[in-house]
Amino acid sequence: MKEIFHLSFFENNDLLIVVLLIFGILTFASVLFYVIGKIKPNANLKELKARTKSWWFMASVFILATIVNTNISYIAIAFLSFVAFRELYSLLGFRDSDRRAIFWAFISIPIQYYLAYIGWYGAFIIFIPVVMFLILPLRLVLKGNTDGIVKSMSLLQWTLMLTVFGISHMAYLLSLPELEGFNSGGRGLLLFLVFLTEINDVMQFTWGKLLGKYKIIPKISPNKTWEGFIGGLISTTIVGYFLGFLTPLTDVQVLFVSFMIAFSGFVGDIVISSVKRDIGVKDMGNSIPGHGGVLDRIDSLAYTAPVFFHIVYYLAY
Amino acid sequence: MQKITLRIIYSFFIRCFLKLIVGVKFDNANFLLNEKQFIIVANHNSHLDTMTLLASLPTSIIQKVKPVAAGDHFGKTKLKGKLTSFFVNALLIKRGRDKNNPENDPINKMLKELDNGYSLILFPEGTRGEPEKEQPLKKGIGILLSQRPKIKFIPAYMKGMGKAMPKGDNLILPFNSTLTYGKPTKIVSNDIEEIVKQIEQSFKELKQKTANTV
Repeated sequence: MKEIFHLSFFENNDLLIVVLLIFGILTFASVLFYVIGKIKPNANLKELKARTKSWWFMASVFILATIVNTNISYIAIAFLSFVAFRELYSLLGFRDSDRRAIFWAFISIPIQYYLAYIGWYGAFIIFIPVVMFLILPLRLVLKGNTDGIVKSMSLLQWTLMLTVFGISHMAYLLSLPELEGFNSGGRGLLLFLVFLTEINDVMQFTWGKLLGKYKIIPKISPNKTWEGFIGGLISTTIVGYFLGFLTPLTDVQVLFVSFMIAFSGFVGDIVISSVKRDIGVKDMGNSIPGHGGVLDRIDSLAYTAPVFFHIVYYLAY
Repeated sequence: MQKITLRIIYSFFIRCFLKLIVGVKFDNANFLLNEKQFIIVANHNSHLDTMTLLASLPTSIIQKVKPVAAGDHFGKTKLKGKLTSFFVNALLIKRGRDKNNPENDPINKMLKELDNGYSLILFPEGTRGEPEKEQPLKKGIGILLSQRPKIKFIPAYMKGMGKAMPKGDNLILPFNSTLTYGKPTKIVSNDIEEIVKQIEQSFKELKQKTANTV
């Protein structure tokens, strides 16, 4: 019992600084919107306020689940995957005869996270791209309904890759072996990844609102501008540079990996946007006020997590 | 005893299960506290429907609401009937009317429960049909409301439950679904056909509302 509530992160100054920084930013945002609301009562701050409120909630849950105790974080991230998978597949219009295969896809979530938990790298990395890739079509074939089966095979695999395989890299960060002279460990890396991904989202949004003029892909996401994209890239890379103490990387490597997080975060964002265009929904759900569904919030993470993980794994482990 | 059991099962366990695992988004049902007595009229696609409706109710009125279920299915054996009556708080009825035996007549049985002060949950589509497809409403609800015109009906529309657990499949699969309540409404006419039409119309509006928000 004592071990579960052992708040080891209070002894780790690096993590503590970032946690305080996060709450500092949120307090600043809340105060800022409150003051603007008082000065200009007509300003439309409803969405921004709802978003900030949700950020408070999400940041608190994330920090509680991840920083305080590592074992809880595996379950929390697995649950995140589960909700994201459920949200996405519910919208994709699967056939009734796909139910058994979808059930097996759900079963693969705890297995994938268990593999991350025990740190069996080889199995973790092939389980969904190889094992599930081979098993799921078999389950679909056994059902015997070939009408539209190719679509189901591809959709199911793609959904698993995006919401389970990609996100589970966050959990594997926690299972990475300890390095000499690197105190923050997996939790530091996870904090770095999530913080930078979300900062990138916020920065792209903010720069886009401030300077946005030239649209990148108006057909998919009318809000995405070159100014927002480049502003996000630069500011995220700079923020990442100053948070480099959370990673075991050298200065140049940190700059590179921060840049890659910013870039792949943008890619994840527009990929999910295009999916939403296709299905014809504005948000994936309404579980988080002001943010849409869970998937709207972790769309970037599904891309940044594997990219970040494999760069760090190659460079430092 | 039954009161506590129902509250623990539905307000906690089933509610948590439906919310976290199955992914049901509940509409706020606290407005039901302002109604003394009501009949919830819902579409029927899945065995999960009754659970969802009961779990959505405010805790303090759960034991006052009786879902109406088909006796031939849920009361097949005496034990099954007893269990359904206890754990689901269900009122078991025959599917057709029974003129010879007024005590066994479904309408009379429902009227009796209403007069005892209970509220009812009714699925006027009858049995669960094809997943996620509406069926024409049965007349029983019209007869019931025309005899007790002061009681309001509340339309409830569930979307996605037929995907989470369709007819003929015992596997529950998580699926993002929603439960939406309409406004408590009094019937405008005493004609049975008109009442059924009014309810059908309220369903249609609710369905439209659901389509716009999700």
